[in-house]
Amino acid sequence: MTPTPRRDLLPGTLDMLILRTLTLQPMHGYGIARHLRQISEEVIQVEEGSLYPALQRLRQKGWVTAAWGTSPNNQRARYYTITTAGRKHLGQAEAGFAELIDAIHRILKPA
Amino acid sequence: MLLEWLARLHDWFRRDRLDAELREELRFHADRLEAEAAAAVGPDSVETQTASRRRLGNVTRIREEARDRWSWPWLEHILQDTHHTLRGLRRAPAFTLTVVLTLGLGIGANAAMFGLIDRLMFRPHPYLRAPSEVNRVYLQYTFQGETILNAGGHEYARFLDLARWTSSFSQHAGFTARTLPVGIGTETRERPVATVSGTFFSFFDAQPVAGRFFGPAEDTTPMGAPVAVLGYDYWQGGFGGSDVVGEMLRIQNLDYQIIGVAPRGFVGVAEGKAPDLFIPITTYAGSQAQNNDRRDYATGYNWGWMSILVRRNPGVSTAEASADLSTAYVRSWNAERELSPGTPPVETARPVAIAGPVRVTAGPSAGLESKTLLWVTGVAVVVLLIACANVINLMLARAVSRRRETAVRQALGVSRGRLLAQTVTESTILALLGGVAGVALAQWGGAALRGLYAEAGALDVVTDWRALGLAAAVTLVAGVATGVGSSLAAGHGDLTGSLKSGIRDGGGRRSGIRTGLLVFQTTLSVVLLIGAGLFVRSLDEVRSLRLGYDPDRILAATPNLRGAVLNPAEVRALGERLIAVSAAFPGVEAAALARGIPFWSENVTYLRVPGVDSVRRLGRFPYQTVTSDYFETMGTRILRGRPLEGTDREEAPRVAVVSEAMAAVLWPGREALGQCMYVGADTMPCTTVVGVAENAFQNSLTETQQDKYYLPMSQAGTGPPDALLIRITTDPETHAEALRAALQEEIPGDGYVTVQPFEDLIDAEQRAWRVGATLFAAFGGLALLVAAVGLYGVIAYSVAQRMHELGIRSALGARAANLVRLVVGQSVRLAGIGTLLGIGLALLGARWIQPLLFRQSATDPVVYGSVAAVLVGVALASSAAPALRATRADPNAALRSD
Repeated sequence: MTPTPRRDLLPGTLDMLILRTLTLQPMHGYGIARHLRQISEEVIQVEEGSLYPALQRLRQKGWVTAAWGTSPNNQRARYYTITTAGRKHLGQAEAGFAELIDAIHRILKPA
Repeated sequence: MLLEWLARLHDWFRRDRLDAELREELRFHADRLEAEAAAAVGPDSVETQTASRRRLGNVTRIREEARDRWSWPWLEHILQDTHHTLRGLRRAPAFTLTVVLTLGLGIGANAAMFGLIDRLMFRPHPYLRAPSEVNRVYLQYTFQGETILNAGGHEYARFLDLARWTSSFSQHAGFTARTLPVGIGTETRERPVATVSGTFFSFFDAQPVAGRFFGPAEDTTPMGAPVAVLGYDYWQGGFGGSDVVGEMLRIQNLDYQIIGVAPRGFVGVAEGKAPDLFIPITTYAGSQAQNNDRRDYATGYNWGWMSILVRRNPGVSTAEASADLSTAYVRSWNAERELSPGTPPVETARPVAIAGPVRVTAGPSAGLESKTLLWVTGVAVVVLLIACANVINLMLARAVSRRRETAVRQALGVSRGRLLAQTVTESTILALLGGVAGVALAQWGGAALRGLYAEAGALDVVTDWRALGLAAAVTLVAGVATGVGSSLAAGHGDLTGSLKSGIRDGGGRRSGIRTGLLVFQTTLSVVLLIGAGLFVRSLDEVRSLRLGYDPDRILAATPNLRGAVLNPAEVRALGERLIAVSAAFPGVEAAALARGIPFWSENVTYLRVPGVDSVRRLGRFPYQTVTSDYFETMGTRILRGRPLEGTDREEAPRVAVVSEAMAAVLWPGREALGQCMYVGADTMPCTTVVGVAENAFQNSLTETQQDKYYLPMSQAGTGPPDALLIRITTDPETHAEALRAALQEEIPGDGYVTVQPFEDLIDAEQRAWRVGATLFAAFGGLALLVAAVGLYGVIAYSVAQRMHELGIRSALGARAANLVRLVVGQSVRLAGIGTLLGIGLALLGARWIQPLLFRQSATDPVVYGSVAAVLVGVALASSAAPALRATRADPNAALRSD
């Protein structure tokens, strides 16, 4: 099994990825980390602990809420839910990000 | 954004719990990662643990990072500093108390003065919509070379002209404040009544609490509808807040129907007393119409009695509004000239209108009193400056004595910013304590100010958010200023030097700054004391001024017949009965009727003197008509000839008494007695001068001309007397009510009589100087006290610092007297420099304060000399204790310590 080359995250994109992930369903921190790993096929490499300060920031901004619940295997875990304000912010962030990526593409591959 | 900060604040309060929760979350995450790795690689292998640990990252750093999200480093610093400060202040109660009281006095003085001038001059009237658009109309013209500016006393026809011929305004209203008899029979009381246009209420955002306001339909010329709106307080106090709408109320001689009640706090644009009632202005004017000159008030210009309020259209400046009003005023002036050709032409009268502040006290015609008040407010600011200088000084003394502690902390790596933050925290806490003390002092001082300014109402600083806001702002500024000031003055000490040496050497530069501050304080105190001295002497001058009569122990009784008209015989009979009743009253020495009483009214009529070309050019020559005992009643001395007597009846030869000044002007170098004057008209028989009376003030204490004359009421009986004057040997205040009751029985019909001490009229005249003297003296005293404390502090501190040096001097043979001279000399020198600077500053300011003084030079050497003497005395007194301590400097201790 050849190790997948790991890439660092573009700055400022972590919030967006977390919020996008949470649009599927409320998740705990570990769930979010695993989802990011699986969907990106292990390309995106975050130090999973760094999710937690980011989640605190998102909570203080009012984009997610946090509540303690029980995981399927009966462990206590904190579940994060995206709020309406969070969805709104996600929409704006994604639009901005798409524009940026487009621009980068145009520069890298001039037609 | 705000919500995020609130969330952070909330998190800060529960930071311990959040910490624990995060730890649990991270443990859960680690557990799951381990389980995952165990499934992939196999349990218990070293690889499992390291792989999962790498995945999670540095847990300690993550926790710190998360913790930053709910911690507030600066808030924690402030709390820490506050805690530190409070502990330090508790350990130095004398320092704390001095600083808090000093700042309290400064802040309190400012809060109280601001509260006062705000109420009297600046605060918009309650409910007034968009106050910045609303102006009072001031009218100015020139008459006989004198410029006359009126805030009120305009004619109703003029009001209509200005409304008709201007285009800058969306609203116009006329208004007056009257005192009118309200009620029937013995229930009758004089009450403040506002007569206002029907458009008046639409200047405000006020809704009646019961019924309705009146409108333009009820305010019509020649006579509006008899409807009245009650003031809230009168409704509560006079009617118990019951349902009064529809009830009838007699005001003066007309029955009004109550149609509504104004909301709480609504006073219209009243200055001073809040009106009890609001009635349509034309209803009032119409009810006065039996008086000849008032009959055509809406078309003629004979009766000047009202004020005008306007609201400017959006975008119109006051200058444009004034220009528009002036054009209309000129047109109106010409209209008046067509009706009465005697009116001087526009070219000489130069009529000008000004759209000015609604409050007269803040307007262009504001009197001496407003100016004095603004000066005193400036003085309060100076007191605060002195207080701040003193506090900086005290904090510096503290900083110097804590130099070692500060140096150690710096050496341990505490940044300069943190040290500054700490000093500012300390000074702000002190200022806050001072602010609390200040508001308490202002509350108490507000009660005292009320003695001087009853119309300001209760000056309740604690519930007055504008005054409280000012106190808070002043407190913060004082806190930051003293903190930053003392930090800057303390400067960067030499760190190693401070660490090495003891606290013995004070450091020359720092004591230089402290000396400078002290001199600054002394200088300002000297200026204030000189101001106080000038005002006190000015008030003395006013009080000792010979007015031309003895105003104490005179009561003035005014009959009010409520518009009932008596024929001249009836008027005379009533007057005689009133004189007889009061003459029989115990303690009454003399009583007389008079018209044209000083500080009350003035009458001028045609006057011609044979041999004098134009009497008019020589003066105004007001006259007074009096009954026989007038001069005895007033205490006016007859210098030559005789007073007017009972024998000067209607049919007897016409006689007059003239003032000394009038005699000197009309018959210079000749005897006035026996001279002939034609009074009223040339066709009248000659009036012979039979007496010369001392000069008497007529309209103001600052008037320079006192050319008046007196005629017997029986010979020149034009109109009813102003008042019955009664000289009483007992205390006027206590007998006023009994006398009023006795006189009341003689008044016919619905009429009534009021009695007041004559001195009240003059008191109002003297108030500007009384206010100046009282407040300047109070603030000057405060400033001196603060400066004395400062002087003592600096001298005592410098003695403590020089104890070692003094000990060595003592060991070298200096006597106690030498040491005392050294210490006292320093104190006197400092006070001397401050005094000289203060005197210089006061001399520079003398030009501006001169107009506020009464017959008192602003450069009076007596005042300046006394203040200098007081300052030297204070310097001696405040250095006495430190000097005594200096003589106890122990030579042994000094020699042994090195």
